[in-house]
Parts: sequence; structure tokens; C-alpha cells
Amino acid sequence: MYMISPLIVVVLAALVGALVMAYHFQRRQALSLTLGAAVGAGAGVAGALLVMVPLNFCTFEAERQALDFIFGVVLIVIGMAIVLIAANWLVPRLVRRENLLAMADTQHGAFRAGVLPPLLFLLPTLGILGLFLYYPMFDTFRLSTLLARLGAPRSAFICLDNFTRLPADPTYMRSLMTSFSMAFAIVILALALSLLIAVMAYQPIRGARIYRTLLVWPYALSPVIAGIIFRLLFNPTAGVLNYVTGSLFGVRIPWLLDPGVAPWTIILASVWNIMGFNILFYIAGLQNVPSDLQEAAAIDGANAFQRFFRITFPLLSPITFFLVVTNTTYAFFDTFGLIDFLTGGGPVGSTTTLMYKVYELGIVNRDLGKAAAQSLVLFMIVIAVTVIQFRGSRERVTYGA
Amino acid sequence: MTKRKFNFLFVLVIIASLLVAIAPGAAQEKTDIEVWIAFVDFRLDWAVDVANKFNEAYPQYNVTIQEYTDYEPLLDAYTLAQEQGNPPEVIQLFEVGTQFALDSGWFRAVSEIVAGREEIGGQAVAFDDIVPVVSGYYTIGGDWSSVPWNTSTPIFYANTNLMEQAGVEAIPTTWQELEAACEQFQPLKEAGTIAGCITWPNHGWFYEQWLAQQNELLVNNGNGREGRPSEVNLTSDASVNIVQFHKDMYDKGYYVYSGVQRDWTGTVQSFSSQQVPFIMTSSASAGGITNSALETGFDVVTSRMVYDGEVGWTGNIIGGATMWITAQDDPAVEEGALAFLLYFNNTENAASWHAASGYVPIRDSAITLLENVAADNDLGWDIDNKTRNALPAGNWFELNPNFRTASDQLGESELTLATAGAVFGTFVETRNIVTQAIEDVMLLGLDPAERLAAAEAEANVLLGEYNQLYVE
Repeated sequence: MYMISPLIVVVLAALVGALVMAYHFQRRQALSLTLGAAVGAGAGVAGALLVMVPLNFCTFEAERQALDFIFGVVLIVIGMAIVLIAANWLVPRLVRRENLLAMADTQHGAFRAGVLPPLLFLLPTLGILGLFLYYPMFDTFRLSTLLARLGAPRSAFICLDNFTRLPADPTYMRSLMTSFSMAFAIVILALALSLLIAVMAYQPIRGARIYRTLLVWPYALSPVIAGIIFRLLFNPTAGVLNYVTGSLFGVRIPWLLDPGVAPWTIILASVWNIMGFNILFYIAGLQNVPSDLQEAAAIDGANAFQRFFRITFPLLSPITFFLVVTNTTYAFFDTFGLIDFLTGGGPVGSTTTLMYKVYELGIVNRDLGKAAAQSLVLFMIVIAVTVIQFRGSRERVTYGA
Repeated sequence: MTKRKFNFLFVLVIIASLLVAIAPGAAQEKTDIEVWIAFVDFRLDWAVDVANKFNEAYPQYNVTIQEYTDYEPLLDAYTLAQEQGNPPEVIQLFEVGTQFALDSGWFRAVSEIVAGREEIGGQAVAFDDIVPVVSGYYTIGGDWSSVPWNTSTPIFYANTNLMEQAGVEAIPTTWQELEAACEQFQPLKEAGTIAGCITWPNHGWFYEQWLAQQNELLVNNGNGREGRPSEVNLTSDASVNIVQFHKDMYDKGYYVYSGVQRDWTGTVQSFSSQQVPFIMTSSASAGGITNSALETGFDVVTSRMVYDGEVGWTGNIIGGATMWITAQDDPAVEEGALAFLLYFNNTENAASWHAASGYVPIRDSAITLLENVAADNDLGWDIDNKTRNALPAGNWFELNPNFRTASDQLGESELTLATAGAVFGTFVETRNIVTQAIEDVMLLGLDPAERLAAAEAEANVLLGEYNQLYVE
């Protein structure tokens, strides 16, 4: 039994789609209102069906919770948005009889035999992408709606329960907080320290080239190797670090035992691991900062700090922005190896990030459905963070001239 | 040899080997039996040695051993091998995987292969010779599903030199005696000589032992032995009592926690480096701990796992793993696999396995054999040369009292539903949930009863989901 019949849902989607597209076609695309309404209605229905047919409209069943209903509506909106944007691009070009394959303004030459040869050349790449990227991704979507265990004889469809249960799960919300705060600390510390070191290594000193080369090395280590090295360093009773701090200051820090300290141990190790990468890009960026600007400012009486903050730092902003995006991805996805070898997500879950939780669920507990759902949420979060970074950086990043 | 001659020989060898491969019968008569085990140390060498001996004695079989680093990766690899349709003939599976293995439908029950016979492929079946506590754990309704192999139980190891130093006279047997002894060790701790009084790996296995000692069930329906369980019970008085004990021991600074769950190696290192005078860990460490103590220069005495003196002791549960036979189309392969497993665990091998490792001798006849070791025997194990050697003649247990504790502890256990051990599909996950709850209570100072209630709810959701997928 449905609380809202699928027919009504689809009709509503068609209505909303028609309204949006009719308005949009008339105002922006200079096309007729009726064409817009027709295309919009079709796209709305297609969008709603795209997300709801695989789910069998389960979010609108009578026994579902309010949260399921909200998730269902959001999903339909996303599905409609995808189809509407595609229709908005496609239909005007069809009406004006434009060549759909001519994406760019300038034509760079073409295969004489048509589209088949280029597609043939693309086939190996598309095949590999399809097999190892797109198929697993679509399978993740399918798995996320199931109660499924590795090796179980059957699985059960449970609608969006794997998602809707997350807000009420305290360990999940905690790992969400852990992920964000650790990512924040890693990005800030890694960027600040790398910039400082890059500026120092860029100074004209003897052996600067050797320093620069050495500074990039940590990045060449895989997080797993780094994790093993750091475990030896951070070992509370037999570690080198505690031997040094113990004999110098009489302090032994519980690097991996204290829930308040362990996240910082991971942060320190991650920062060390990614810093080589950042320094490499900053040094490259510093070489492109025009020295005449620096000289002019120096002649005008700007001191070193002013020159750095008013000239060098703004001119490095594209690199900083690029590094913020890559370091965020690193902090969310690539710290897994360090965590697994250093703390195993503990103590008391204080270093269990979202990524580590997906591993625990999917690999340790063999709970494929929940792991798929949570990895999708993680995927969405990283996309959202990246989009926010792109939007926020538009005014602050200067690409020269 | 000239190059041309060499080439000629090479071609000859290839032709000959092709002929052998094609020749009907000659090479195909051997039945291949692949066995996956989860050991990579001397225990692997021991198993390979036994497999080689079996292959020599029974040339119709070719048993090969494939090693994995631990039980979980082995089971993961096996699951994938099953899905790809190419599983090995035998795997070693930890005790908590028993219900999962039964539900998977991947294995042939040993009782089914035996079908009432006394002998399989020249090997005596003799399951009535298996010690009761092992058969109690692994048989359900009197039927064997798998063949037991490595079986252990947690025991108590004491550093008697440190005890003398602190003036502790007797090895504690109860929680109360342990706390009193720990109090006496406090001056040594304050002086920085030791890190604390006792350690054991934070692992649900110890919790389960203490639950059984108090004769309390972990899941309903007779610990899953009288019917499929529908509820996990972590909020019983006995359960809260155990977690409260952890909390007390940790709060008073008696219990040394390495901060890492399931830290089998780290805890033993603390004991072997004399950082703690007491450790509770698997009896399978008896050999390793005794040897390293000998090298470091201190005396170690084993005794039984401590229990709550105010509640009493019913018995302990076993731990370890059994060998499961993959269901095959060809019954001859299944019989071959079983014949090997029976040989693998016959009286001599069971005795040798115990003496090499400290795992419990699983046959009564093996215990008898060890009590009267003849002068001429090959029951010992030379770790460095990876071969059998001779044990000193006489009563093994009198010569090595530390190896006797585990058998005694299990032998004197009263067999109840609690000490037989729980059987349910999400045992692995539940064990992890309990381990996490204990860590949370110790490190965050949470209330045991409240934390256990949350853990129970979590475990019950998983059990419900499991039953939904596996139970018709």
C-alpha cells in the first residue's frame, strides 16, 4: 500500500518539470512556451522514474517513516535535475539543427570515415572505465538499497533504510565529526607548514636544490609504509619518540592510547606524508612569482612580511586552491592506510573516519549493504565539499593578469 | 655440457613430461587435497611436515597446505573462492564461525561422510576418544560437522621472581585474590619497576570465558544449542559484573591496557619483558612464554584463569578452530580429505601438536601417550630445523607442569549450555561489539550497564538481519 500513489508522484514531477522548463525556455533560450512545457513534463517524468523505478517507489509506502518520504522527494529532485539539465542542453541544439558532436567552437579536424574509428580507438579506455569504474559504481547504488552480506545465500531489499538510519546512529555521527575535524586540521597544517618550508627552501642558499629534492621524499612513501614507520616511532613503551621526550623532558606522551591524543598522531603523520607533494607545487609556484613585483614593492618600502602577504601569497592562490582540493581528498580517502596501521580506528573510535568505517563494515563485518550506502554518502560529502571550495574560491583566487 | 646438448635434453624432458601428463591414470590417480590454514609460524611447518608424511604413507593422495596470516583473511579468500567456483578441499575455521559455516551450505558434515563407519581410508574415526569439552563445543545433537584441531583455553601465567620481590605468596585464583595481590604490587609500580599488575588482550573471548564461568548464556534458546537464537543477552548480571571488573581493574591501575584491541603479541611482550608480573592469555602461548622466560632469566608458573570467587566457577570454554570439508560432487575427494584430517589428528599427531604448541591434546589417548612417553619417540618438534625430534622419556606433564594447566581447566569444567559455548551466526560481530564496549567503559569511564545495553541493542539488530538473510 502506498501513502502517495506512484501515479500522483509522477504527475507532480511532470507538472513541476513543465513549469520550470516552460519558464526557462521562454526567458533564456528564446523558444516557445509550449515546447518548454512539453520537454519539461517529459523530462520530469523521466527523472522521477529514473530514481524511483529501481526503488519501486518504496519511499512512498504507507508504513515508511517521514524521513524516508523526505529522502524520496530529494532523490526525485536530483533525478529530475539531471534529466532537465541534459534536456536543456540537448533540445535547443536539436531545434536549431546544430551538430551535437561539435562541442568546441573550433573544429580541430575530423576522421574522414565518420565517428566509428574514433570510437574504436576509445573502446579500450571506455571498456576499462566501464568495467572497473562505472559498473562498480552502479553496483554500489544497487547494493546500498539491500540488506546484503558477503557469502549470504540471499539479500533483502530494504528501501533506503541503510541511509535513513544513519542520522540516528551515534557512532556514525561521531565518525562524521572525526572525519571533518581531522580533514580540517590536516589541510590547514599541511598547507601552512608546506608553504613555510617551501619559502625557506626557495631562498638562494647553498645546496638549495638538494634540500628541495629531499623535502619531496616523504610523498614517495605509501601511507602503509609510513604507518609502519610511525608505529615504531610512536610506540608508547618502546618508541623512539617517547624515548627522546622521556629522556629530555621526562614526559611520555600516550601517542596511540589516549582518545584525545591519537587523532593528533594521525594528523601529524598525515601532514608529514602529504607535505612533500605540497612543497613541490609551492616551489614550482614560487618560481613563477615575478621578481620585478617583489623588487618594486621593496623599493617602495614594503618589508618582507608585507611582500609575502600582499604579493607572494595572493599570486600563489591558484596553487593554494588546487592544494586545498587535493589535500581534502587525501584527508578523506588516503589516510586510511595510516589509520589502519597506527590505531586501527581506536582508541574508543577516536580515529575512525568515515572511510575507515566503510572498511570496517564492508570488509571486517561483511555487511555489504551498509558499507555501500555509507561509501555513497562519503562520496557525496566530498563532492559537496569540493563544490563549496570552488564556489568560495572564485573571488579569492587570482589567475594572474 | 654444450649448449646444443642441453637444448636436446630440455626437449626430451618436455616430451617426457607431456607423455606423463597425457598417459591415462598414471598422474591422475592422485587425489589433490588442498588445505588452507591460518598459521604462518612454526605451526605451519608442523602441519606441512604431517601432510608430507601422509602423502608418503598414502601415495594416492596429494595434500598441499596453503597458509594465511589469520582466520579472517582465510575466510574472506574462501568466500571469494566459493563464489568463483574453485574452493580448496579443506579449510581451518575459527570456532565462532561454526554457525556461519553450517548456514553457508558450502561444507559437508563429517558425520555425513562417516555414515556410521569405523574407519575412513585406513584411519580410525574414533570420535569418542575426543575430550568431552571439545566434543561438547563442536557437536550439535551428537553430530560432528567438522574435525577439531587447534584447541586452547585462556590460562594464567605468573612471574614468580616478581612475586617474590613484591612479597606475594600465592598465585591468585579468584578476582578477589587477584585484586589483593595487585595491591601488593603497587609499590613496585610506583617505583617504576613494573607498568602494572596484570594484562590480557582486550578481546571478547575473555568476556565469554567469564560468562561461562558464571554459568550464564550469551544468546537465548540454550546458547543457540536448542534452537536458532533470536536474542543476544549482554545485560545479564553476570555480564555487567564482568565489565565492572574490567573497569575496577583499570581504574585502580592494576590492568595494563596497550590501547589496542585483540593485542595478543603486545600483551605477551609486556609479560616477557617483565613489565607485568601476571598475564592471562591463550594456553597456546605456554611454549613461547616459557621459552622466552627461560632466555630472559625468570620463572613462570601457569595456573587457571581467575574467576569471581563470590559467584563460583562452573567451567571454561574452548577456543581455537576446526577443519571443514568443502562439499564436493565426488565423494572420493571428501573421503580423502576426511582420511587426511583423521590422520592429522590421530593420537600421535595430537600429542605432538600439544607438545609443540601448548594447544590442548584433544584425544584422551594422546594424554595417555604423553603421560608415558617412551624413550624412542618422535613426538617433539624442532622449531629451527622444522622436523620432529624425540621428547624426553617419562611423564610429559610432570616434566612440563605449565602444559598441564589447560587440560586440567577444561577437564574439570562442568559441561553445561554455558560452558559448551554459544552458537550463532553473528558471533564474530558480537565479539567485536563486546570488545569495543569494554574499551569504552575502561577508557571513557562509562557506566557498564548502560554501555552494555547499547551494545546489546546493536548486536540484536545484526542478529536480526542475519536471521533475515539466512533463516527460511
